[in-house]
Amino acid sequence: MATGSQAGYQIARTTKIKLSDRNNIADQNMGVKLLLKDAHVEGIRYYDTYRKQGGYAAVEKALKMTPEAIVEEVKKSGLRGRGGAGFPAGMKWSFIAKPEGIPRHLVCNADESEPGTFKDRYLMEFIPHLLIEGLIVSSFALGSNATYIYIRGEYAWIPDILEQAIAEAKANGFLGKNILGSGFDCEIYVQRGAGAYICGEETALIESLEGKRGNPRIKPPFPAVKGVWDRPTVVNNVETLAAVVPIINLGGEEYAKIGVGRSTGTKLISACGNINKPGVYEIDMTISVEEFIYSDEYCGGIANGKRLKACIPGGASVPILPANLLLKTAKGETRYMNYESLSDGGFATGSMMGSGGFIVFDEDQCVVKHTYTLARFYRHESCGQCSPCREGTGWMEKILKNIDTGKGKMSDIDLLWDIQRKIEGNTICPLGDAAAWPVAAAIRHFRDEFEWHVLNPEECQRRNYGLAHYADAREVVA
Amino acid sequence: MEFSEEKLKKVDEIIARYPEGKQKSALLPVLHLAQEQFGWLSPETMDYVASLLKIEPIEVYEVATFYSMYNLKPVGKYMFEVCQTGPCMIKGSDDIVAYIGERLGIKPGETTSDGLFTLKTVECLGACGYAPMMQMGKHYKEHLTKEKVNAIIEECRRNAATNN
Ligand SMILES: Cc1cc2nc3c(=O)[nH]c(=O)nc-3n(C[C@H](O)[C@H](O)[C@H](O)COP(=O)(O)O)c2cc1C
Ligand code: SF4
Ligand code: FES
Repeated sequence: MATGSQAGYQIARTTKIKLSDRNNIADQNMGVKLLLKDAHVEGIRYYDTYRKQGGYAAVEKALKMTPEAIVEEVKKSGLRGRGGAGFPAGMKWSFIAKPEGIPRHLVCNADESEPGTFKDRYLMEFIPHLLIEGLIVSSFALGSNATYIYIRGEYAWIPDILEQAIAEAKANGFLGKNILGSGFDCEIYVQRGAGAYICGEETALIESLEGKRGNPRIKPPFPAVKGVWDRPTVVNNVETLAAVVPIINLGGEEYAKIGVGRSTGTKLISACGNINKPGVYEIDMTISVEEFIYSDEYCGGIANGKRLKACIPGGASVPILPANLLLKTAKGETRYMNYESLSDGGFATGSMMGSGGFIVFDEDQCVVKHTYTLARFYRHESCGQCSPCREGTGWMEKILKNIDTGKGKMSDIDLLWDIQRKIEGNTICPLGDAAAWPVAAAIRHFRDEFEWHVLNPEECQRRNYGLAHYADAREVVA
Repeated sequence: MEFSEEKLKKVDEIIARYPEGKQKSALLPVLHLAQEQFGWLSPETMDYVASLLKIEPIEVYEVATFYSMYNLKPVGKYMFEVCQTGPCMIKGSDDIVAYIGERLGIKPGETTSDGLFTLKTVECLGACGYAPMMQMGKHYKEHLTKEKVNAIIEECRRNAATNN
């Protein structure tokens, strides 16, 4: 096994960069905002202001359309699920079963528990009416007369905000019986979870909504056929459902012109870690990763003048990438903030858009320790139904803890690799994969950092950071 | 062991959100209500909730033990739940946990002898951009520093003194 960890231990070069290098991507929609366009309007949390800014126009328009026509617009928009998997929303909607006499339900997934992700919270906290408006339109399209928002229990102050928005919408005739004289009835209810990441998985969420433990169901049957209370159910992410508003307002085709390729529309990115400006940003998916990290409009560069070491671009379960593979693909092309580009190179040299939880690491951060915290997270959150996930996550946590604290052996690295491979694909729900991927990617790209911990058991306890040679410095020039 | 009049009304309101006969769906929200009123979920409380929803006690125990927000033993008046997952860890959550522990003389999982404070480590709370952070009751305390922790502890002590 290679142990050349010290050899590459050197200061990386500084590259001078010019931002806004969008090369071959159409930029007519550069910087367009659809979801957060009014985020900074004072009072936007309340109905009157939201309405004055053009709110609820999508409901007025949609209720004059047929449900099928709305589904068609969402299909044309190319909107992909914003919860992590990126499944086309319109297609999902068209799968919903419509057995005679059985009610259907829309459930909004506001469980948001993927580490690094806090975009749905922002939307619900500051622009609650946008979600409510999207829910009304979507409920009409799907024929849901009782729609539920399942929100993670820890966001304990947000249900009040949502319930106030619901009450305001109702007082103004946008919810309740016979909405705007259309004959369509709809109620929206907020249900709090109680602390379980797994309840973000759609079938676990449905179990939880039924008042049970959050154990994912075996599929099929899919929720579109048998969901909550065995009724046809569609589960969509908060951001997905909010995006239905601009889709109806603009029309699906216009919406699809924003962005690039199969990454249509805009995406909310929650950025955190060692950057100057952590927060929630709406991007059109034509900007480069480099611009997103370094421009003042977004992350504002790496904090404290440090160098960029690595990044997890789409929430804790997607592969971590070292700086060089983050900013450029393996082919040396610019990497962009969209579904296709972020996954360019597959898991060998790419990652995923995931939930849009963008975690940035500077040169002082230790990949081993970070991976250990994620392994602990997944062990804690495993529902325990399948042995590869229940046992494997615990083993990975223990081994990673040992390596991180200088008690690891070289063979532990191969053992870790072996365990993650045996979890992946062998479980009921994708939490198993989500636990395996971060470990696999950390070893794949930062193996010599693991080795360094094994070879330097004392030093790795004294200064708890890894190898800086992965880091890359960029200096923005005008 | 009984809910206040107001809470009982709330329970009926919650049950009405679901189809006939699906009142078990109200279990998570009703357990939250119970914890709000009694501070933690004792076996008696869980049995009471079971009777309210007309389900078996075991169905309540199963759920109460699955979700991390339900307290199965008494906790302090103020619970500091500090996030320790990766994004918070790289912003110094370990130091915050250690500092709170030192200030209060307790380890994670413990409650101070005066019953005022419980310290707990938890996993990602969806505030990664505002790290390090902790949950205290219904709200989040973000961008924590030692000074901020001191101020929060003082405020809790003051509030406890005036309320008693
Ligand atoms: C372990 C696990 C956790 C998940 N957590 C969430 C979540 O917090 N929010 C979310 O919207 N989707 C989450 N998902 C994805 C959902 O299962 C589902 O795909 C999504 O809600 C569908 O909505 P979308 O198509 O609008 O993205 C999770 C999936 C898994 C496997
Ligand atoms: S993979 Fe893990 S979380 Fe998913 S069902 Fe199996 S044990 Fe539960
Ligand atoms: S990691 Fe602490 S709030 Fe997300």
